[in-house]
Amino acid sequence: MTLSLFDQFLSPVVCWIPLVAIAIILPWILFPSPTTRWLNNRSLTSQNWFLSQATSQIFLPINPPGHKWALLLSSLLIFLTTMNTAGLLPYTFTPTSQLSINMGLAGALWMGVVILGMRTQPTHSLGHLLPEGAPALLTPILVIIETISLFIRPIALGVRLTANLTAGHLLIQLTSTATLAMLTIMPVTAIFTGILLFLLALLEAAVALIQAYVFVLLLSLYLQENV
Amino acid sequence: RMAGHDAGNQHQFTGLAKHFNSYTIVGRRNCVLATYASLAAIFLFFKLKPKKKPAVTEK
Repeated sequence: MTLSLFDQFLSPVVCWIPLVAIAIILPWILFPSPTTRWLNNRSLTSQNWFLSQATSQIFLPINPPGHKWALLLSSLLIFLTTMNTAGLLPYTFTPTSQLSINMGLAGALWMGVVILGMRTQPTHSLGHLLPEGAPALLTPILVIIETISLFIRPIALGVRLTANLTAGHLLIQLTSTATLAMLTIMPVTAIFTGILLFLLALLEAAVALIQAYVFVLLLSLYLQENV
Repeated sequence: RMAGHDAGNQHQFTGLAKHFNSYTIVGRRNCVLATYASLAAIFLFFKLKPKKKPAVTEK
């Protein structure tokens, strides 16, 4: 019983062919590139409008040299939003519930941002490791704490997304199992559990969108410090 | 000023505080580098310290 709860997080394989690649490529077919026509169709226009709004909001506080990262961060936003929401469908696999995928994204992008800061403005990047106006006696301990917090960032970024999605999917599975199990034995309790399941599903839909946004927002904040 | 970013221009530092302070960006950078150098020095000191060999007793 306990083992089957985590079966949904196993990377799907059919005839030794890993299906995770198909799951990751999914956003590519859902977001077609703009055509050469003067006016695109409604779905493409609305997709592009949402994306341009989200990108302009994310890049408002960032200096112009950091706007080169717009394509990378907006495609990351699309990727994570699609992965998270598609994973809410029954019997689907959520790639972003895997720590490997999230740590690969978080670690690589965080390191890119830090290296960019160290290369283009090393004084500012190093200076940010000591809070302004700190007392002289606390300087060594504050520098150590800030350095540790700098290196904790990619771990927190990856684990936050993984933990939120894994916990949500587990809760949905537990609640749905309980609802089905109690349907014949205690129907009234099963109805209340069913209502809870519905509310939980709404919550998970919100969490899927919010966590994708938070991931990209935090990366944009790290970029803001380093550009 | 209690709140807001301190430009560091109004502080007139002299001596060592001119290079190591927590108000100017250069001062903060130097403090960070000095902390890293001190930690590296402490690590190297304990790493390269010769270990005391126990005295050989005649049996």
